Amino acid sequence: MKRIITLLFLLVFICGCRSVGKDVLRVVMGLTEEEWQVMRQDIFPLFEKEHDCRIKAYQVEAQDWVRKLEAMVSANKVTVDVFSQDNMRLYPLVAKKLVEDLTAYVDKIPSQITPSMKEVGVFRTRTYFFPYRPNVQITYYNQKKFNEYNLKPPKTWDELLKVGKRFKEAEGVGRLGLKLWGGSPTVAQVYELIVSAGGEPFEFNDQGCIDTFVFLKKLYPYLSVDSKKAKWDTTNTYLANESFYLAQNWPFGVNIIVKEYGKNEIKAYSGWRGPKREAHTVGGEVLGIPKGAKNKELALKFILFLESREVQEILVSKLGWPLVRQDAYGQIAEWQEPYFEAVEEALKEGVYRPNVLYWGDFEKFLNEAIMRILVNQEEIKPVLNQYHQKMQDVIIAYETRC
Amino acid sequence: MKRHKEKIKRIVLALALVLVISWVIFPLYIMVKISVSSPQEVMTQHPSFLIKDFTPDHWQKVLSGQAIRGPLTKSLAVATISMIITLGIGIPAAYGISHLPKRWGYLALIAIFFTRMFPEVGIALPIAIKFLEWNLLDTNIGLALAHVIRVLPIACWILVGTFQTIPRELEEQAQIDGATKKVVLQRIVLPLSMGGISVAAIFSWLFSWDEFTYALYLCLAQPTLPLKIYYYITRGSWFLTATYATIITIPVVIITYSLQRFLKAGYTAGALKG
Amino acid sequence: MRRAANFKDYRFELLLILPLALYVIGFTLGPIIYAILLSFQEQFTNNFSLKNYYQIFSHFQFKNALINTFAITILSLILELCVGLFLAVLLTRRFIGKGLLRALMLLPLGVPTIVSAANMRYIFDSQGYLNEFLSRLHLINLPIDWTGGGGLSIFTLALADAWKVTPLVMLILIAGLETIPLDLFEAARVDGASFWQAFRRITLPLLKPFITIPLIVRGIDAFRLFELPLTLVGSSTPVLSTYTYFEYFQYNNPYTAAASAVILLIMIIISATIYLKISRERKSIYNL
Repeated sequence: MKRIITLLFLLVFICGCRSVGKDVLRVVMGLTEEEWQVMRQDIFPLFEKEHDCRIKAYQVEAQDWVRKLEAMVSANKVTVDVFSQDNMRLYPLVAKKLVEDLTAYVDKIPSQITPSMKEVGVFRTRTYFFPYRPNVQITYYNQKKFNEYNLKPPKTWDELLKVGKRFKEAEGVGRLGLKLWGGSPTVAQVYELIVSAGGEPFEFNDQGCIDTFVFLKKLYPYLSVDSKKAKWDTTNTYLANESFYLAQNWPFGVNIIVKEYGKNEIKAYSGWRGPKREAHTVGGEVLGIPKGAKNKELALKFILFLESREVQEILVSKLGWPLVRQDAYGQIAEWQEPYFEAVEEALKEGVYRPNVLYWGDFEKFLNEAIMRILVNQEEIKPVLNQYHQKMQDVIIAYETRC
Repeated sequence: MKRHKEKIKRIVLALALVLVISWVIFPLYIMVKISVSSPQEVMTQHPSFLIKDFTPDHWQKVLSGQAIRGPLTKSLAVATISMIITLGIGIPAAYGISHLPKRWGYLALIAIFFTRMFPEVGIALPIAIKFLEWNLLDTNIGLALAHVIRVLPIACWILVGTFQTIPRELEEQAQIDGATKKVVLQRIVLPLSMGGISVAAIFSWLFSWDEFTYALYLCLAQPTLPLKIYYYITRGSWFLTATYATIITIPVVIITYSLQRFLKAGYTAGALKG
Repeated sequence: MRRAANFKDYRFELLLILPLALYVIGFTLGPIIYAILLSFQEQFTNNFSLKNYYQIFSHFQFKNALINTFAITILSLILELCVGLFLAVLLTRRFIGKGLLRALMLLPLGVPTIVSAANMRYIFDSQGYLNEFLSRLHLINLPIDWTGGGGLSIFTLALADAWKVTPLVMLILIAGLETIPLDLFEAARVDGASFWQAFRRITLPLLKPFITIPLIVRGIDAFRLFELPLTLVGSSTPVLSTYTYFEYFQYNNPYTAAASAVILLIMIIISATIYLKISRERKSIYNL
């Protein structure tokens, strides 16, 4: 009898009644815990009060979101009303028809939003996503080590090479970090190198692309061995434990490296220019509504709320996020200021990656080319020619299908 | 001369033993150590082996924060439900199998055994889609049902082994006395095999507690504890990873120890895991 | 006719097994068949084709993944068996602190795989604790890149896997050793055989069945190794399961992912068949 009671108790405890009543808006975002705290404490309550609703927010990693949404839409049970997503992972959402077409609401986007940001959500002629958070990679460097070897943060490719050489000569191992783990972190980084060399990344074998790979091959011996394991998460660790003395990463790393780990000697600046120009790929997040979302009206209001001046100012002062609006400004913490300046500086030379349906294939090809040329040490030109051909085939295949 | 050789042999043996033991303990020690060390001590080119700069910060942060409650409740609930389901399906089935003719039982057991060999990365996606159709995504019961895939074979092996040890004469005697098979099962077999059943139950619980792959596919709102650790790994938070890792490991290690005497080959054969 | 009667006799037992059978069909066989179908479908058109297989077999990483999978399996099996046997032999003898040693050796058994993967990252990082240990002993000057790809990474993975699994192998071998009658050793000692001679002539031959079982079962598990290579070495040392994961998670291609999962499945089925053959030669598999 006792056992049965325990069992019943457990079942009740497990099933737990889900309280219903107010309008519920279900939100999916991929944030750090710190960012969640600001969202939950400072931002969501404002919206809940204004619209008399309750926000249920879920953490989903950007890379998992496509699959989860795909499963939801294919089962016709969409339990999310609005989501934020990395702007480099939008193509499959559109290609697989998982999001609502928001073209009809474009005129609701506040006019104060930086015009180029609006473009991020546009695919061909339709708008599927609204901007709310621009982002750009900054270059972190270990000031203590740079001072020790009497070096300055490199501003050109040549200087970068020199710095790399100096470290290797002095310590016997490479100390430059490049994200070579694969996937989109690697691509984001090489994409901006190619653009700054005047190349067209989708071409693979034009002069700019070739120059970039020649440079990367020269740089490769001076990279830290941990580069092969570096993506956006591990880069923070390697910067903090001084395996990297210099590496690019997204600004969220500041909170981990400086605030959490207390590594005050890690500074940041906007980065270097290539042979042709300075270029920094703009990343960040946009907001979208899943196809078949139940609470579309409220979701749309929520999107506009996040774009509002009020919210943007909270985000910049509490988290140091770059602004999506030109008319907003906020007071950020003093320690965070130099990093924020680096972000602003880098954004000035920001380049937007085009929204193409074949981005996934491009990402895969570029990754493979990088692995084969750098890690497997294959000849540059034959490999690039091969991927040029592959890319062209894919582009044609997509164009004939649409 | 011979004694000398004996001595050397002993030293070599002892050295090998020390090596193995430290290899076993070292990673766990490092995990606990990192969870109570200051960042400055760990995040350097030359981390120290001893805890020089003790700090309770990471533990305080984890235990006082809201973040751990959800995952902890979810992990506890899912592990408990999947244990109940496993026993519900497993006990009757195992009893049935142990009473089939040897050949059939053998085939059944091998078949179950094979199910746990399939690559999880291969089954997880179709299951995720199916669960959505049934509206089971992100529910405790849904995840528990998926965990049963992984848990059931082990439980069955343990249970079949248990039921086989019960003398068949006892059951036959009862049947001659007029009891039905059902009554025999309830009155004689089950009470006699409580030991094996509880071992199976605890193993089922454990295997769900530390499951990762299915959780990755089937959780949306609330992660389980292993997923939470993965979240911290992907965010590059060494200290929170270490703290959570310690938290999830403690009950498991305690249970494993208390079950030590049951960790006989018969049970563990099915429990071999990767 | 005899068969039918048999079924009737066991109606109650079969009824008891029914839920299990239904569950296995719904939750394991169903998904597997779905995955197999997926692997033969062409992306976009859903036509039946072998294109996915062609695509992965012509991919440079897939060949690496295949080779790595086998290499890791073989290496970790050797490690686990050697260390496991050493410990098992040791633990069947009597000495002070035996209980403590046994308890210690079982420690990794309970550690969740994701935790052991996280821990191994601390150890094998280029600035990690193993390199620090070696450099304090002045064995190395520059940090060793344990997880950067190539043979060393395979060794690292095998070592990391062995950490978790050796205790299980050890337990099975202990059970095996306990079945060997002690008087056999007594007799050998009376005849003047040394420990090594007794080990080679008595222990090993009698232990053979207990070695083949973990060999194959562990082999299959090593084929499927996932969390460890994922968190420890990433794409620098792909194995079949992480290759499957990358195809799907990174490039959003469930079709090639399914194809490589099917290859993994075939490898597992082959090993399982061998296992079946061997264990059928022995009377009972229940009690090992």
